[in-house]
Amino acid sequence: MKESSGSSGLRTYVLTRLALALLTVLILLTVVFLLMRVAPGDPITAALGARLPAKELEKRKKEAGYDKPILQQYGEYLGQVVTLDLGESVTDNRSVTSILAENGTATLELTLAAFTITLLVGIPLGLLAGRYRDGPWDIGGRLYGIVIYAFPVFFLGFLFQLLASQVGWPTSGRASPIVEFDLNKVTHFYLIDTLIQGDLNAFWDVVQHLFLPALVLGLTISGVLIRLIRVNLLQTMRGDYVEAARARGVSERRVVVNHAFRNAMVPVVTVAGLQFAILLGGAVLTEETFNWPGIGSELVRYLNQRDYVAVQGIVTVFAIAVVAVSLLIDLINAFIDPRVRYR
Amino acid sequence: MTKVRSLLVLGAMLAAALVIAACGSDSSSSDSGGTIIRGTTDQPISYDPAGAYDLPSYDGTYSFYQNLLTIEPGGNKAVPEAAESCDFTDKDNKVFECTLRDGLKFSDGSDLTAEDVVFSFERNVKIADPNGASSLLANMKSIEAKGDGTVVFNLKQPDATWPLLLTAGSFGIVPSDVYPADKLQPSDQVVGSGRYTLADYQPGQQTVMEKNDSYDGADPAKNDRVIIQYFDKASALKLAVQDGDVDIAYRSLSPTDIDSLDGADGLSVISGNGTEIRYLVFNTKLQPGDNDAQKLAIRQAVAQTIDRQSIADNVYNGTVQPLYSMIPQGVEFANQGFSDKYGEAPDVNAAKQTLADAGVDTPVPLEVWWTPSHYGAASGDEYAEIKRQLDESGLFDVTLKSTEWNQYSTAAFTDKYPTYQLGWFPDYPDADDYTSPFYLPDSFLNIHYNNAEMNKLIGQEKSSADPQVRQQAFDRIGEIGAEDAPTIPIWQADQVAAVRDGVHGVEETFDPSFIFRFWLISKDQ
Repeated sequence: MKESSGSSGLRTYVLTRLALALLTVLILLTVVFLLMRVAPGDPITAALGARLPAKELEKRKKEAGYDKPILQQYGEYLGQVVTLDLGESVTDNRSVTSILAENGTATLELTLAAFTITLLVGIPLGLLAGRYRDGPWDIGGRLYGIVIYAFPVFFLGFLFQLLASQVGWPTSGRASPIVEFDLNKVTHFYLIDTLIQGDLNAFWDVVQHLFLPALVLGLTISGVLIRLIRVNLLQTMRGDYVEAARARGVSERRVVVNHAFRNAMVPVVTVAGLQFAILLGGAVLTEETFNWPGIGSELVRYLNQRDYVAVQGIVTVFAIAVVAVSLLIDLINAFIDPRVRYR
Repeated sequence: MTKVRSLLVLGAMLAAALVIAACGSDSSSSDSGGTIIRGTTDQPISYDPAGAYDLPSYDGTYSFYQNLLTIEPGGNKAVPEAAESCDFTDKDNKVFECTLRDGLKFSDGSDLTAEDVVFSFERNVKIADPNGASSLLANMKSIEAKGDGTVVFNLKQPDATWPLLLTAGSFGIVPSDVYPADKLQPSDQVVGSGRYTLADYQPGQQTVMEKNDSYDGADPAKNDRVIIQYFDKASALKLAVQDGDVDIAYRSLSPTDIDSLDGADGLSVISGNGTEIRYLVFNTKLQPGDNDAQKLAIRQAVAQTIDRQSIADNVYNGTVQPLYSMIPQGVEFANQGFSDKYGEAPDVNAAKQTLADAGVDTPVPLEVWWTPSHYGAASGDEYAEIKRQLDESGLFDVTLKSTEWNQYSTAAFTDKYPTYQLGWFPDYPDADDYTSPFYLPDSFLNIHYNNAEMNKLIGQEKSSADPQVRQQAFDRIGEIGAEDAPTIPIWQADQVAAVRDGVHGVEETFDPSFIFRFWLISKDQ
């Protein structure tokens, strides 16, 4: 049976996007590799530069293979990525896979919690701001959106830490030290692990520790969402179908919630997906502020130590995650809106 | 409607779970009362002695393993630990023999024998881990076991510092049937014969050590469990000790944090002797000066002008002490070479005369490099203060330059910086470790300093076990070091910790050895 031109167009679109995604990842990997080699310093000099003579340092660098031709190192690196063997960190001999499993889940847990807060705060406030244009909700929502976005995440973090410290709320880490030790880390998502363990006290301890960083990160991003939903809602409220609904006597509440809001959310889904990348970036600063043992804070640490292997491994996964999410959004959009794939 | 109902039910269930959890939160801790929690910003590299050459790793290795020799709390001499006795058996100090104590066992129940000791040292050299301290064993020609209980080190050169070197955290004894001979043991799979076993290690998060019940040596642990909790920032560490999340905050609170914690409710600030030093380095090839005499005069004038007490008081709020020798106070054979020669207080007139005598035009342009984070956040204030002092003398025109450690650690030792900041903590608490690394021609500093008498004196102190000979050598080394001033000592740090009330014993472990003896610490139940 002959394929319809619609499915053929979609297939071409998907294949093109996949090819572009692979190219994007390759460019990212190459840039990371080159930047790590071009930047001054190496892991051995960073660790022992002020203790060992230059001759001994050179000997150690040679033994570690840092004097290999750069193309050879690049080839080995790409080979590792393809075979999903990201190697072991130079500075503390941890496998990159275990770094991603242990610290990556911490970041994911924080990011998901923050994203939930973003949605819980951003959607209602954006909706109210759009619905009651130029009213107190609108002015308040817009003001909040600008102010909260203007606050650097670490500043907001320190502010919240000081406030939380006054009332005895935990200000750093994923859990209390003893809870952390007692926890059987099955999934490395502490919320889930404490529930699997059936330890509600530990669960509450983890919730307490998660709340503050998630709130700070979530609020920071919520400002963008509010403004986006507001603008989209205002546009859709001017649509013919909304007028038609009103003319049919549909209540204003139903017009907003069932008609205007749903349509206003379509572009928001796209942007919300892209916020994932921003959240990952924001998580680095949040993790540093709240001593959250996520992949972001580990990345900073390894960068400071010039640990090529760990940095490359972490950034590779970051890059693939962001590209994958972008690809997913493109594909969802193409499925939802046929105009996208014919452009 | 169904969706709304489902959401309401889900919400109610979540709320109920949280309420139930909250009600029980008072008993969230399963702490048996014998757990000591220490917070730190230092992260270990490896708990395998062959891969450890840093203080945070030593925190673990000193706890999990025994060395042949160790330093007693408050002491500065090597005393037996796993060994019953150790001594040089020849007059040249080239053969060092240790007899092991009877009945030593690893935490897995196996016997600790002389073969394990030989294995531990040989694998350290063989692995030569990039982050390890195998280079400290460069003088070891061979090591052999005599029966189950005796070990003999054959050295290439006479070395009186050998006993103290064996106390370093890089030389713990590991079991030969568990640890690989050619690569590091993973840090979460520790087997040793020390006071603790490793219960859990989560890199970047925590290390949990539990009392080793089979340990039968001196000073068994006074606590059941130790948790080392890692923090990225000193500010988070400060909050944690304030809030009682950790019992001890040690390494590295900022001077401002220490100041604000001093006198805070529920905790106290404890300080003790420390032997970590900071100093200023001159690259004698790159530094200003038309000839050697002028270069020498410039270095001496800087030494005469810097007000160390002011730095200690105003920048570090009294948490460091002025340093007048590269060998800090507390280490045997310490001296005061710089204050003996130049006095403790700055003397601008004398500095002016020194420069005039050598025909140096003033103000001397001086490019001074420092690094912002590696040596603590106060480095910026310290070097601003040094610039102020030198500029105000009218003798110098200082330009401060800084860069992060990665670039700094490469550039400083490859003839890029004429004058630069540096710090040092000991590999082993012997005066030799504060002199030979800096003053010998093949120093890692690469500053092109070479003084024949100095080289000879370092050879003497290293090869002689006679305290009198060593004292004389170090006294003269101190004099020459102050006279030539290729490096200018600035300060030595106290070891400082913020400790919650009811925690005891931290002060006992603060001594020149830098060994953090968790086993001496106890907590009121």
